Amino acid sequence: MLDDKLIKVLLLRTASRDEGSALAFERLYRLCAPLLLGVARRIVGRPELAEEILHDSFAKIWTTADQFDVMASQPVAWMVAIARNRAIDAMARHDVSRVSSYHDRKGDDALDDPDGALDQLFDWSEAADEAEDRRRATAWLRDCLGHLQGMERQSLVLAYVQGMSHGELALHLARPLGTVKSWVRRGMANLRQCVETRMAAAR
Amino acid sequence: MKLAEHPQLDALCAEYLVGTLRGAARRRFERALRDEPRVGLRLRHWQATATPRYSKMIEVTPPAHLWRKLERDLGLARYRQPWYQRSGFWKGWASAATAALLILLVLNGRNPAGVVAPATEIARLTGAAGTAQVVAQRGADGRTLRLTSNRPVLAGPKQSYELWLIAGPGRAPVSLAVLGSLDATVVLAQDSAAALRAGATLAISTEPAGGSPTGQPTGPVILAGQVNA
Repeated sequence: MLDDKLIKVLLLRTASRDEGSALAFERLYRLCAPLLLGVARRIVGRPELAEEILHDSFAKIWTTADQFDVMASQPVAWMVAIARNRAIDAMARHDVSRVSSYHDRKGDDALDDPDGALDQLFDWSEAADEAEDRRRATAWLRDCLGHLQGMERQSLVLAYVQGMSHGELALHLARPLGTVKSWVRRGMANLRQCVETRMAAAR
Repeated sequence: MKLAEHPQLDALCAEYLVGTLRGAARRRFERALRDEPRVGLRLRHWQATATPRYSKMIEVTPPAHLWRKLERDLGLARYRQPWYQRSGFWKGWASAATAALLILLVLNGRNPAGVVAPATEIARLTGAAGTAQVVAQRGADGRTLRLTSNRPVLAGPKQSYELWLIAGPGRAPVSLAVLGSLDATVVLAQDSAAALRAGATLAISTEPAGGSPTGQPTGPVILAGQVNA
């Protein structure tokens, strides 16, 4: 698991553009590139395209490191969002017919088994070095995901992990667009409400 | 209207995080994220409550040439401290030079080329967060492998570390050395030296003292990395 505190320090050092910033950026790359590449690869499917996205994402991280909000507690999430959004845009630009290509991607766990993917691709362990709040939030989130309706959960996993659009979800799940949209919205709203209820109860 | 007062702000945050907010709508949201602090605050709340962390399973190691290209494209050399300015360099140099001279005096004539041969980094061995990282370098003679840990790590009294070479996908691990510490220099057998090339994997497992009783890893692999040169 990546250490948010360390990543934050490295980002600040990168943004400072002094003699140590290249070294800090290199460490940032060594630590986070495998995650960003993996996230991009899930979405675009093609290794070369994912590598291009990784390159462009880190170029963007280098140039916009000074825009990273120091108060934000999740620098890794900030970096992952850059790579995810680039991967999603690349798919839209390349206009690859993904839904048909999904059928060739046998053994892609998130497609075949979204519930299993949820356990494998995400870290639900309670790391000892984490703040108590964060530890509990992780447990609540896992629990609340289990309480979602099956289709809501499946839509969220497919959109989050595979980067599927509403349209692609509708095709993949063979349901009307409006139905799929409301699964995503309701799924997220229910999820947040469930976690917040537990938070409030614990106070 | 400011996005921060938008009745659907929560829905927008959710769609942004899930990735279904697209095109112009996403750009508008990202602008607001930059300009309106309340939007960022709300998004962070969402992030903390409703998005999980990825696990190691999703990671894919990038090929080594990607970093070199990035370094070139961004002109990173300008932001590196030249080696002769690094603090402590000259201080260290004096003692290192003396030591090197001594070693040369002792070994000269036996293996003069091997001693001063420059080493090339061929792999970085990493493990779970919090574990040490080890850099593997190959000596110019092609037969020595040096492991350098970013902090000193010694095997406990009842265990050893064992270094393995996996020549390629589907190949069985071959033991290279049993180690008491993650800092070590290993002289390789000829066939191991030949198999240690790009695409192979180096791994370190924890084994009973003295090394694996079976000739294959029996304990957990704590560090691994792909050879890229």
